[in-house]
Amino acid sequence: MSFAGPHLLWITSRAAGTAALVLSSTSLGAGLLIRSRGEPRRLLGSDARALHETLSLVTLIAIAIHGATLLGDGYLHPSPIEISVPFTTAYRPLWTGLGIVAGWGLAALGLSYYARERIGPSRWRTLHRFVAVFWVLGIVHTLGAGTDAGQLWLLVVIALPTVPAAILLLNRLLGPPAQRAPASPLQPATEPPSNVIRRNSA
Amino acid sequence: MDEQRRLEAKGLARAKSRSRRLRVAWIRSRTIRGSLALFAVLWGIVFVQLVSGNDPALSSSSKSGGGNVAATREQQPSREPAPEAEAETAPLEPESEYGYESEAPPEYEYEYEPETGVEFEEPEEAPITTGAS
Repeated sequence: MSFAGPHLLWITSRAAGTAALVLSSTSLGAGLLIRSRGEPRRLLGSDARALHETLSLVTLIAIAIHGATLLGDGYLHPSPIEISVPFTTAYRPLWTGLGIVAGWGLAALGLSYYARERIGPSRWRTLHRFVAVFWVLGIVHTLGAGTDAGQLWLLVVIALPTVPAAILLLNRLLGPPAQRAPASPLQPATEPPSNVIRRNSA
Repeated sequence: MDEQRRLEAKGLARAKSRSRRLRVAWIRSRTIRGSLALFAVLWGIVFVQLVSGNDPALSSSSKSGGGNVAATREQQPSREPAPEAEAETAPLEPESEYGYESEAPPEYEYEYEPETGVEFEEPEEAPITTGAS
């Protein structure tokens, strides 16, 4: 314990960073299931929304712990500016900077959910899609700047939630844009406007 | 009769709403507990890795880290001095009459062979200083 004593905050930061990536991947997967029309949605139902929201908030807490505990690290001695402003730190500035961009992006887009009425639901949905970009930046940050990036256990822990989330994301991006229910040949695909009088042709 | 139905429907809606709230609270509670458990497990893995001497940033062996760790060492010093480095910086103990005994293998000990026609002057004897002094 005495050996690890000076590194406790560093260990906490590393664990929180890994947890943040795992949780964000799970949250992304749950978020993609909310809007999907396939079988998983039927399994999760409306619970996916509660799961997605909670996971997102826990992810943001983990990101905050990941950055804040580094402030007390006796080796790196980063300043508050170095952990909050991208590309200002001396330690792997590119990879760390990408991680800071990812953290701020996830925080801004995640918390914007509570202001979606003001932003406008449609505009907010468009903005919210960019969460995936910041999630990818988070993965790049972990693999580029992570102390444990070369460790097998980390790759396995990351891959377990990340691969399914990536498959769901690719399915969303490459799949058909809108999966509407097939229109019956006897019924019109869309309801006519209320001022249109439907006449029986027979 | 209609009033009775209306009250029943209201009660049913209220029960449904309450059930949904409870379900959401259960999901939230489970998610938070699961996240804390995940964090604890990850913390334990990193801690055991560090205490057992297999931490990629602190370990002196290059086999555990891979390319990424090698890059770390190139860019900045290790968090703690490696045992080999400590041995290198330890003061030398005089073992020979000069206070220093070369451990270089025989192939590195060479003799000077002056070329023909080139005069070789013996250098003046300078006081030999040792690292231990």
